Amino acid sequence: MNTGFRSQVVPEYRLLTENQIQEFHRAALEVNEKIGARINSEEGVELLKQHGCTVTEGNMVLIPNYLVEECLASAPSRIDIYNRKGEEAMHLEGRNIYFGLGTDLINSYDVYTGEMRPSLLKDAANASRVTDYCSHIDFVSSYALPHDVPTNTAYVESVKTMFENTVKPIFSTAAGLEDLKFIVEMAETVVGGADELRVKPCLIHYSEPTGPLVHSYGAVRKLFYCADKGLPITYAPGDLLGGSAPVTLAGGIVQALAEVQAGIVLHQLRRKGAPIISGWAVVPMDMRTCTLSYGAPEFRLTNSAYSDIFHWYGIPMWSTVGSDAHVFDEQASMEHAFTTLMAALDGANLIHDVGYMGQGLIGNPAMVVMCNEIISYVKRLMRGFEMNREMMAIEEIRKVGAGGTHLAEEYTMKYFKQELWDPALSNRDDIAVWKQKGSCTYSHKVVHKTMEILETHRPEELPGDVKDKLGAIAERADKELAGIHFVA
Amino acid sequence: MSDLYRDLSDAVTAGNTETTKKLVNQALAERTGAQTVLERGLLPGMHVVGERFRSGEMFVPEVLFAARAMRAGMEILRPLLTETGGEATGTVVIGTVQGDHHSIGKNLVAMMLEGAGYRVVDLGIDVTPQTFVQAVSEHKPDIVAMSALLTTTMLRMAETVNALKDAGMRDCVKIMAGGAPVTDEFVKNIGGDGYASNAGAAVDKAKELLGR
Repeated sequence: MNTGFRSQVVPEYRLLTENQIQEFHRAALEVNEKIGARINSEEGVELLKQHGCTVTEGNMVLIPNYLVEECLASAPSRIDIYNRKGEEAMHLEGRNIYFGLGTDLINSYDVYTGEMRPSLLKDAANASRVTDYCSHIDFVSSYALPHDVPTNTAYVESVKTMFENTVKPIFSTAAGLEDLKFIVEMAETVVGGADELRVKPCLIHYSEPTGPLVHSYGAVRKLFYCADKGLPITYAPGDLLGGSAPVTLAGGIVQALAEVQAGIVLHQLRRKGAPIISGWAVVPMDMRTCTLSYGAPEFRLTNSAYSDIFHWYGIPMWSTVGSDAHVFDEQASMEHAFTTLMAALDGANLIHDVGYMGQGLIGNPAMVVMCNEIISYVKRLMRGFEMNREMMAIEEIRKVGAGGTHLAEEYTMKYFKQELWDPALSNRDDIAVWKQKGSCTYSHKVVHKTMEILETHRPEELPGDVKDKLGAIAERADKELAGIHFVA
Repeated sequence: MSDLYRDLSDAVTAGNTETTKKLVNQALAERTGAQTVLERGLLPGMHVVGERFRSGEMFVPEVLFAARAMRAGMEILRPLLTETGGEATGTVVIGTVQGDHHSIGKNLVAMMLEGAGYRVVDLGIDVTPQTFVQAVSEHKPDIVAMSALLTTTMLRMAETVNALKDAGMRDCVKIMAGGAPVTDEFVKNIGGDGYASNAGAAVDKAKELLGR
């Protein structure tokens, strides 16, 4: 009896049962109430004290359970993100999935020479233009830490470059509150003012606590600033299993959840209802090399766990994909395919680090182009299929009958585009045609497609006066930030 | 007696602190010199650890347990070594640079260096260039080792090198740097002497830089 509903068949996956979710929730509550969180900010400690928290030695703040639960309740269950032009771009809620790049890669590949070198501002520009072209990538990030601009304005310059090269929403970090203010001023300039940015945010700030259990002065300042501004912030700890967190997956989950809870408490006490995006990266540390692994299966399990937990909380969540390969190779492809599929099955909302390589240290625009196709595949998979009398096609089966063909039927014409995925680059040619076209490998096609995008795709330009204003802000940032120390 | 040294060496390799302490005391009770216990018992044990770690047979936690056993043995031997004029392999001042609150990598390197017989002065996290300079003037180390995990703070390493230059201390020490985003080339560019990609390699690099 499905009256008024379309019957859609979709892949479904959950890792935790409701009992397991509640058990993790209570364990994290216990950590916050009995062990506490180290808050390295007087303002933060004071706020928590006012709300009934106990401060013990070393700025360890014990947070009562009811306060955590109140703040989880006041955090919004949906956040709308807009593009540069004020058009709706992402509804971060429920099991909606959106994909985008990551920040800070210190090395980049040049697709033309195949050489890896320290990242430059033009790498951020290239990544933005490729993202602007890629229809399955929903938001942009610098994808580079440029070495050719002054250290203190690396993020300001990157954000300016992103605004110039794509209309898509921007996910960006900052070194401190000092440069974040210039970044926010840029976003306000692009959308026409502070109120406009609050109503239609096109920028998400990305900050994090320091595991285990530490919320630095800089992190708390940024949490407060974003709460005041109504600017969406992702506050997601990165914890290493066996390093900054217990080696057991369940232990890592409990610690990271406690860290996220404490962050939400600080943020929501500052301003109830301010938009915050949760999540964590609880990542295995390789016990031979001490490096963190993006491609590891354990990382997928801890991601699935928080996705289930934050769906239960009703708080939008962030997620991570990526690869440990240093070159654009089979490992990079395999790990991106697995991680993208798993993030989608998790129903995580803001899935970042698309195209990340080399354990979070290497970018390659061709990887982004390949990920666009992986995401396209996964989004098709996640869409599932419709199932009703019309779609089950009994009339059509009757009409064509035994031994007939459906190829030239109206029914086929009507539905084939919605039903069948059309890959942009994957091979579907037969052997003869494939040979005729030069027997190309997939990576060869991806690299050439990337070059074509870089050479021909022209993103919609910023209005001239806005471009000038951003230039002026960057110039002012360069003067005011020169030589100062950001407080972490 | 040779069996005792072998057992001691094995205890260090296996990371068995209690057995290491017991065997060190036993060796001393048999009137062996502290220098001999170090050279024939503890150091060969750590040598095996180094080799097995490099070949991928041993994991980092196992190495750290071995380093802990080595250190426990050293604590017993150190007063005796000082008496007889034996000295540590060298002194290292280590810290995570300003703005960075990450300590795991730095702690690993510190433990491995201690395990290899170096005296380590750990300045902790978020260490300003001035603190590094003060520590150099106070402890007269052979090596200054800097760590950073963040791409944002990695760029602060250059300032520490410059502060040592300004204080006229650059040439008194070797400067090492490491951390996830740091590379060999980066360390050269900021005027450092050595880079190591992991804690085991850091010990090798320290030995290489000091020739001991």
